[in-house]
Amino acid sequence: MHELSIALSIIDLAEEEMRLYGGERVRSIRIEVGSLAGVASDALLFSFGLACEGTPAEGSRLIVHETAGRQLDVVAVEIEP
Amino acid sequence: MITVPRIVEVRKRVLKENDLIAHQLRDKFRECNVRVVSLVSSPGSGKTTLLERTLTILHRTHHRVAALVGDLATENDAERLRRSGAPVRQITTGTVCHLDASMVSRALSEWDLHQVEVLFIENVGNLVCPSSYDLGEDLRAVLLSATEGEDKPLKYPSIFNSADVAVITKMDLAAVAEFDRRAAAANIQTVRPGMRVVELSAKNGDGMDEWISCVLGRSAAVPHTNAG
Repeated sequence: MHELSIALSIIDLAEEEMRLYGGERVRSIRIEVGSLAGVASDALLFSFGLACEGTPAEGSRLIVHETAGRQLDVVAVEIEP
Repeated sequence: MITVPRIVEVRKRVLKENDLIAHQLRDKFRECNVRVVSLVSSPGSGKTTLLERTLTILHRTHHRVAALVGDLATENDAERLRRSGAPVRQITTGTVCHLDASMVSRALSEWDLHQVEVLFIENVGNLVCPSSYDLGEDLRAVLLSATEGEDKPLKYPSIFNSADVAVITKMDLAAVAEFDRRAAAANIQTVRPGMRVVELSAKNGDGMDEWISCVLGRSAAVPHTNAG
């Protein structure tokens, strides 16, 4: 169960983008999870909800696209002023 | 400064921090001429027994070897492995189910890598989480014991896909466990076509020569594709 640390890394990446563009909040994060990435989407979604608390991503939506391969990438971040 | 909501295209690896440290480790290993071999498997597949035997053989044949062992708790494995005469350091992860590159980097900080020829990293016993984390190794071996059943590769394709060589351990028990070698080999090839397979018994020594050659990179190894 390493999905919590994965969730924290996703939030860190999203916050980095948010600051780069001068936003205040993260509304959604779109990620791609390969079937061979070793990450369970359900566990990740559960962990994400917990990991967001108290961060600018609190209440945001994690949109998971399951793909083939080994990638585990953040592909887009929706930010708000 | 944005004034309206906007969607930013990113495309970044979630584990980029780990990958960056793994990359730095790989550079350091190359600079110090250290070959790094990691072992992953489920708990009880024989990682420590194989490593104990491997360290003893290599230490006796005057190879400079060292090992890092990951476990959630206890120093037991490190104490067992130190009997080989090689330097061994335990990494206790607490509740973390895998090793990551920063733990390896921290554990190595006090070692002079110029004094090491082959470094082994025994991961936490787990067939899921370690597959996501590059540790900077040259060779990742996934262990499957003859007593575990032939279908492990089909159940855990990601770990077999992240590894370079599959090692079937406890072959001395294959007959008793009615282990089907051909089915296991076929299942490995299904999830990772072309994967090298080494069958051995650390207990009676069968297959250890081939394993040692593999560790030392003496025969054609499958290229490392972990970055893919």
